Amino acid sequence: MEFLAFLVVDGLLVGAIYALVALAFVVVYKASGMINFAVGEWMMLGSRMVAAGVHGLGVGLGGGLVFACVGMVAVAMAFTRVVLRQLFSQSLLTLIMVTIGLGIFMRGSAALVFAGLPGGIARPLPLEPLTVLGVPVSAEKLVAAAIAGACIVALSWFFRGSRTGLALRAIANDQQVAMSVGIDLHRHFAITWGLVGVLSVLAGTLWSFVTGGGFGVELLGLKVFPIVIVGGLDSFPGTIVGAFAIGILESLTAGYVDPVVGGGFSHVASYVVLIATLFVRPYGLFGRTEIEPR
Amino acid sequence: MPDSSALLEVQDLHVSYGRIRAVQGVSIAVPDAAVVALIGANGAGKSTLLRAISGLIRPRRGVIRFLGEDLVGLPVHQVVRRRVVHVPEGRGMLARMSVLENLRLGGFAHGGRTDLAPELDRVWALFPVLRDRRGQLAGSLSGGEQQMLAIARAMMARPRLLMLDEPSLGLAPLLVREIFRIIPRLTAAGTAVLLVEQNARMALQCAAHAYVLQTGRVVLSGRATDLLAAPEVQRAYLGAG
Repeated sequence: MEFLAFLVVDGLLVGAIYALVALAFVVVYKASGMINFAVGEWMMLGSRMVAAGVHGLGVGLGGGLVFACVGMVAVAMAFTRVVLRQLFSQSLLTLIMVTIGLGIFMRGSAALVFAGLPGGIARPLPLEPLTVLGVPVSAEKLVAAAIAGACIVALSWFFRGSRTGLALRAIANDQQVAMSVGIDLHRHFAITWGLVGVLSVLAGTLWSFVTGGGFGVELLGLKVFPIVIVGGLDSFPGTIVGAFAIGILESLTAGYVDPVVGGGFSHVASYVVLIATLFVRPYGLFGRTEIEPR
Repeated sequence: MPDSSALLEVQDLHVSYGRIRAVQGVSIAVPDAAVVALIGANGAGKSTLLRAISGLIRPRRGVIRFLGEDLVGLPVHQVVRRRVVHVPEGRGMLARMSVLENLRLGGFAHGGRTDLAPELDRVWALFPVLRDRRGQLAGSLSGGEQQMLAIARAMMARPRLLMLDEPSLGLAPLLVREIFRIIPRLTAAGTAVLLVEQNARMALQCAAHAYVLQTGRVVLSGRATDLLAAPEVQRAYLGAG
């Protein structure tokens, strides 16, 4: 029973970080219909930039975060200006392919630019494991989840309460209409990708804290697809619920099934759920069925 | 009729969709704070003309002069910033957003200003029903209420020129009358209205001037009252024997 509680709590904490990653994916999808296949590479580049700030520039964790945010927003601006703007009237498929290309480019250039720099980010404080109500809780995951949670709250305020958020939701609702009330689409696409850049820094860094960092942050991108399919591609609450669900699922299968089958099933389990969801509710648990004629 | 004192002056405008020439050499003028109607059959080029003025499509040739400035080539949001606002056919609701959010978005034309209270007050006065429904999702409104919201959202921009494309489409006769009762009131606040309508009688009754379009050309123009009485208009558009 205690083991079960441990697994569920651990899954929830990891799920909070997944939610941040998945939101970085969903903001782009909602604004432009683009599927960002490079979301894992964005996370990788974000965390590598923080690491570069810490190890290369010696500006500490705070400075590294600022450096990485500036760097990633610059990458986002360059991407929207140089690539997306030119392809504006192209088919969505073209734009989606472009994200795959961008991902490969990011991997390659990160290997070159950050050659020789360690990719790990040390946690600011060494944390002792906690025990809450008899259940052991990983302190770093708890802190990471709290930060992720705060970011999600801030993000939802941004979308609900701010003028830019209102414009972004209008674009998500109908691009033509958004344009006709005076919203500059290109400017807001750039804002969306800038947001992806900042989220990448945050989520990439938190993930590095939790996993010890360095290796394979880009694999985080693979978690996104089960989450958004389960949650429904265009729903923020659905995405968050999906992220927690996938976090718990991975944790439970890692605890109960992996020892039996010899490991690795926890990584597959979420994709099994993805396929099952596509059969039963193809638009996700919270997604909208498109009933308007198009 | 085109004269230099007009708010909007379109000269020799040509618009094509690929090889289809939708508008072929149209010239029209809209005076300040007046209602001007564009009537004509389906496919005459009326909607295309509005889309060209609002920047949604780029004309092949011609001039669209608004307050002395050529609008051709400006992106849509820049045209709206000049307070030329287009209410497209089908109303262009942001269905998943509330009535109030739709209205706030209408105020985007004012740039950074966020206090829209004066605009909202004006809109509530014109459309009291929207005030009662302000928290509702736009998609849940009736057809007539959606059309009112579409006009109200455009009025939030305090337009100098409001372009309405088929505001009566799909509405019950009572609601059509309601919409046409409101249109002349819009001009009181200094807004000129360029009205595209299939319902030629209603349009001519509330307009000062009108143009009749046929296959992309202006075939007739003049005072709306004269056109109402013109035999060729009566025969072709008003259903008189």
